[in-house]
Amino acid sequence: MAAALPVRAQVPAAGAEVRQHATWSPYDDNGGTVVAVAGDDYCVVAASTRMSTGYSILTRDKTKILRLNPKCVVASAGMQADMETLHKMLHMHHVKYHFNHRKPMSCPATAQLLSNTLYYKRFFPYYTFNLCAGLDEEGRGAVYTYDAIGSYERVGYGCQGSGKELIQPVLDNQLKAASPLVLPQQQWLSSLPLGRPCSHQQTSPALTNLQQWLSSLPLEQAVDLVKGAFVSAGERDIYTGDDVEILVITKEGVRTDRLELKRD
Amino acid sequence: MAGQGGFAFDLCKRNEFLEAKGAKHPGFTKTGTTIAGIIYKDGVVLGADTRSTAGTTVADKNCEKIHYIAPNIYCCGAGTAADTENVTGMVASQLELHRYATGTQSRVVTAMTLLKSHLFRYQGHVSAALVLGGVDFRGPHLFTVYPHGSTDSLPYCTMGSGSLNAMAVFEAGYKDDLTKEEAMELVARAIRSGVFNDLGSGSNVDLCVITKEGVEYKRNYELLQGKTYQRQFPQRFAAGSVPVVRERVYDIRRAVTVTEGEPMEMES
Amino acid sequence: MFLTRSEYDRGVNTFSPEGRLFQVEYAIEAIKLGSTAIAVRTDEGVVMAVEKRVTSPLLEPSSIEKVAEIDEHIGVAMSGLTADARTLIDHGRVETQQHRFTYNEPMPLESVTQSLCDLALRFGEDDNDEGGMSRPFGVALLVAGWDAEGGPVLFHTDPSGTYVKYDAKAIGSGSEGAQTALQESYRKDMTLKEAEVLALSTLKQVMEEKVTATNVDIARVAPKWHLYTPEEVEEVITRL
Repeated sequence: MAAALPVRAQVPAAGAEVRQHATWSPYDDNGGTVVAVAGDDYCVVAASTRMSTGYSILTRDKTKILRLNPKCVVASAGMQADMETLHKMLHMHHVKYHFNHRKPMSCPATAQLLSNTLYYKRFFPYYTFNLCAGLDEEGRGAVYTYDAIGSYERVGYGCQGSGKELIQPVLDNQLKAASPLVLPQQQWLSSLPLGRPCSHQQTSPALTNLQQWLSSLPLEQAVDLVKGAFVSAGERDIYTGDDVEILVITKEGVRTDRLELKRD
Repeated sequence: MAGQGGFAFDLCKRNEFLEAKGAKHPGFTKTGTTIAGIIYKDGVVLGADTRSTAGTTVADKNCEKIHYIAPNIYCCGAGTAADTENVTGMVASQLELHRYATGTQSRVVTAMTLLKSHLFRYQGHVSAALVLGGVDFRGPHLFTVYPHGSTDSLPYCTMGSGSLNAMAVFEAGYKDDLTKEEAMELVARAIRSGVFNDLGSGSNVDLCVITKEGVEYKRNYELLQGKTYQRQFPQRFAAGSVPVVRERVYDIRRAVTVTEGEPMEMES
Repeated sequence: MFLTRSEYDRGVNTFSPEGRLFQVEYAIEAIKLGSTAIAVRTDEGVVMAVEKRVTSPLLEPSSIEKVAEIDEHIGVAMSGLTADARTLIDHGRVETQQHRFTYNEPMPLESVTQSLCDLALRFGEDDNDEGGMSRPFGVALLVAGWDAEGGPVLFHTDPSGTYVKYDAKAIGSGSEGAQTALQESYRKDMTLKEAEVLALSTLKQVMEEKVTATNVDIARVAPKWHLYTPEEVEEVITRL
């Protein structure tokens, strides 16, 4: 009687080994939150100082704000290595600009440069989420918010990073409208034209709106709001904690403030 | 395989298959955690942090991770919150019934065996990593129970995402036959190290001291850090800040019919 | 006069024992053969007036272009080998657009001028290289513009790559007489209208022909570039 041949365990043919799937990623999220609020003649920029990976804290004191000149800073969250590279790049461009044009790069100019720098790496982006903030050529507070590949927009306030889901709604409520049902909202916040900055340009209705709104928020209240937002985010976001670095940008220069957050 | 008894893991297979096809499963609250336990001269000290997380957000800032098993046994839980709560609850019930049946104090090994056999049966799918401690007639006992059902019996142990932080403290500070105060301080220090250095752990320290005399459950033994800032210009929105878009008034008497009923007969 | 220079007047990279670069000097000489161009700066803007030599009644005057727009806030007037100016103008246009793309702002005038002079100086590079040149440009430019910060500015560039800031400047064949005239009549507090008259009347003095709407071009940057229509030129002529 022909016995059934024992079935061999299936061995993959040579060269057809089970492929080890690549789980390595060039990106890491080091967390952190950045916030900026523009005022009539000032700008408040703040960033948490914790840097983490996974469940570990790498340092409790890492600045996420690049101070280019007394009227313009760039704040970034995301991956620290990319942030560092991006900041070095912007710093280098800023120095070159200073040599070539004999003046510091303005905030709107830096905003455009940052957009270009991010878009340059459209298909291998910097893993950074940025805010460019400072004073514009007219001395008004300016905040620009970005996605990772350079889409940008001028706004009255902005928030990026691991705590943005917690903070952005608070800023919307406090600075835009008590409820989405309350009309009219401060619509300029999402519709301010980037346009070519030219002192001879006619003032747009959006810009008039902006000026009106900006003059209604005193500096101390803006700082208070930012501090309150960070403390609350620190309660609920594990990547926001340790310290917040707060820069207050006015025509007199940049003043720094620091607030302790919870360290757990 | 019907009629053969045992467990079917068909659904696990199905879930793996669906996941490979890109299906997303509902998420659960995983307690990134620091839990620890230590045997000292007269008993056992258990400790836990009180943070519960959902992804990267804190779901509960003051949850309880030291679960009751028996009057002389408690159990710290790390892993999926639902699993640790239910598995300890089930074992607590079984032991309660066992005590009714036998009239004797529950033994820590019994609790440990019930836990491990349940966890092994579920092949790690019930994700509970536990530190079980108690005192019975044989003295103090301390066990770790892993999600797959393996156990260790140790004089000091830690579990959860902060286990390495806590173990570092234990390795540096553990000695045999510590006093109660020394043991409590060491466990609290181990938990604190998790609270401050592990992002999955946070908020406060809970302790539970078990001796043959009884249990001291020290809920929020240490309250570590409060808010660091209070708003100077709190925004208050006046009533009516949010407009009423539409309003409808229903007369509940028209929707509900009230009828007189007969009182239910009760047997005396 | 030129015979003694035969050793050193060929290579653009060779100094004579007296420390001169003859080819560059010749290039500067070439400008003195060109038509006259004048620019006057005021606080309201910069006006440029240039002579167009209409050498034949069959020539279409509008095809002679001696003033050009670089960007909306910058214009140039030229004299000398105007064909060479095209290269410079194209370069300036690319640079200013590049600057707008990168910084979303108009390029500062001095930066544009510096960039034009950098190009003008590349005659010294090996001509095997990309963009290498065999000789210096034979053209001088009056670069007029409006800076976001500084307001109206005027620069003069020459083939040596030197640039200098001016309030009023004349270049070309009539430049010597014109410059003297400008020096006598220029005032810091001039209006734009007065500057139009000063530029055109100075040009008129050094032109052989009668000034008409066809044989001069007028342009201004105040704060944007504008090339005057024949009617607008006519209007300025009536004010002379």
